[in-house]
Amino acid sequence: MRGTLSYIGQRLVLIAITTVLVSSIVFLLLHQIPGNAFLNETRQTPQSLAAELHHYGLDLPLPQQYTNWVRGVIRGDLGESLINRGVRITPLLIRETEVSATVGFFALLVTIGLGLILGVIAALRQNTWVDYVASSASVVGYSIPSFVIAIFGLLIFGHYLYIWTQGSFYYIPGWGKVEQIPVPALALGLPYAAYVARLTRASMLETIRTDYVRTAWAKGLRPPVVVLRHALRNALIPVVTILGPLVTGIITGSVVIENIFGIPGLGKEFITSILARDYNIVIGVFTFYAALVGLANLTVDVIYPILDPRIRY
Amino acid sequence: MAIAAVPQPDLEVIAYEMPEQVTLLSDAWRRIRRNRLALVGLGIITVLFITALVSIVWTPYPVWLEAVGPTYQSPSPAHLLGLDQAGRDILSRIMGGALITAEVGVGSAIIVSLIGIPLGLVAGFYRGTADTIISFFINIWYGIPDLLVALILVFVLSDALHLIPRGVFVIIVAFSLTRWMDVARLVRGQALALREREFVEAARMSGARDFGLLLRHIFPNALGPIIVQATFAIPAAVLFEAFLSFLGLGLPSPTPSWGAMAADGYHGMDFAPHIVLAPTIALSLTLMAFNWVGDGLRDAFDPRMRR
Repeated sequence: MRGTLSYIGQRLVLIAITTVLVSSIVFLLLHQIPGNAFLNETRQTPQSLAAELHHYGLDLPLPQQYTNWVRGVIRGDLGESLINRGVRITPLLIRETEVSATVGFFALLVTIGLGLILGVIAALRQNTWVDYVASSASVVGYSIPSFVIAIFGLLIFGHYLYIWTQGSFYYIPGWGKVEQIPVPALALGLPYAAYVARLTRASMLETIRTDYVRTAWAKGLRPPVVVLRHALRNALIPVVTILGPLVTGIITGSVVIENIFGIPGLGKEFITSILARDYNIVIGVFTFYAALVGLANLTVDVIYPILDPRIRY
Repeated sequence: MAIAAVPQPDLEVIAYEMPEQVTLLSDAWRRIRRNRLALVGLGIITVLFITALVSIVWTPYPVWLEAVGPTYQSPSPAHLLGLDQAGRDILSRIMGGALITAEVGVGSAIIVSLIGIPLGLVAGFYRGTADTIISFFINIWYGIPDLLVALILVFVLSDALHLIPRGVFVIIVAFSLTRWMDVARLVRGQALALREREFVEAARMSGARDFGLLLRHIFPNALGPIIVQATFAIPAAVLFEAFLSFLGLGLPSPTPSWGAMAADGYHGMDFAPHIVLAPTIALSLTLMAFNWVGDGLRDAFDPRMRR
């Protein structure tokens, strides 16, 4: 137990360092762009431009801007929006993370739930029509990008099934209704669900042929116990390893999904800010993403020894 | 002293059946032919490349020509895939999009390999400082949403190089700069394992220099996994371009990018779904084809599957 705790502690420090490093790359990249966010503003006098630059510390030399920024990040302050003066970035992004995390959580649920169910059923019914349907669905599904699924989702649920849905997932102003979640979460989760299903099927096929599973059947255990406790638990190990990349994929996908469905989360903020050249927010969103991915990978590594007791920290 | 006659070895007896010599590629081809999904994928890819080549010299209508008929017109014999919101012929634009897709996919796969293979070979073969530096990059990068870094890079590069209508080139470079780590990680692992093998030892004993070892012994033996990795870079790059253009951050408007076409059609989806369906289906089919071929190649190059 103490080993695990100190392991988590070490990892947290590492995550913090990686987060700062990765967002530093983005910081330095964005500061290479000539010009600045205020160039396109009308009614700009040289004095007001200078005052604006001074307000944001953009008139300082780059190394000094960078150290100021790193100091801010360590204190948890990501600075102020360049476009909407006075808007602090950290609280804004925390609010948006909650929205993104809700959608992301349900997407992950779709991915893992649907993926596992399809994979296990396909493996148990190997070479029957159930297997063929599930396998072909996953072989097709994992190549269809989430924004294409989102478009089809909108077309089906928003247009063809309008009488049933009443457009409830995109006509409600504001965010926070339950009806708004399922379609984006499905769009975000389905491609990865197909991938998880493929993986689960392959590893289930391996485990159900092992001796201990045969023993479990021979002992006369009930089928759900054999499948869930003996076979699936071991079959899950390779599946858990892809959870980290999965979260990264869902984060990347959420950028386009949130823009399609108008979900006020991090992804929408990311694109809006890039187009508006609000570089401070872009850097901030990226810092959040790096930290989220780090935390997700840590969670996976903590779950791992629960499934596979051979692994210890 | 009479010298006893040395008995001549009976060649009939010694000669055993040599296994038929096959090259890596012909062996892989022999096994991929049995993989139906991979063959379908290869078929789709062939169609894609032929369409891309044809679109250079001929499309039914110029890809950018507006108002060749009524806007939003549904598919008809004159315009097989219909017309878009500006009255442009969608079939022509899909063909033009195939060229862009092929350029982005192949270009990215080549550049990713050109960066990743040498770095991976050096890191795995020499170990030491070079390995520490390269592995540091690879590990930091692991799990970072690299498509989003590439997205920022597209923005920075096109601004810094004053390429204001953004081109395919910027997209390929941005993608490659954030994706070479995958190839490098794989090649490094292969080089690490191969450098300890007997045939490498033997080559070193017979005086091969490091460069020769890397080029003639280590690289050819790692070729299978490298080809697989490069194949999977193609759909990733194609998806990246579509993703960018769909968000309006990629190729500028009149360019017939499938992602941009999907974004255009998406606004008129409720009364003219054909505009959005054509590019999204083309895109999905392309991604599927490359993934199937990639899977097929992975199985074909996998020594455990060798029969």
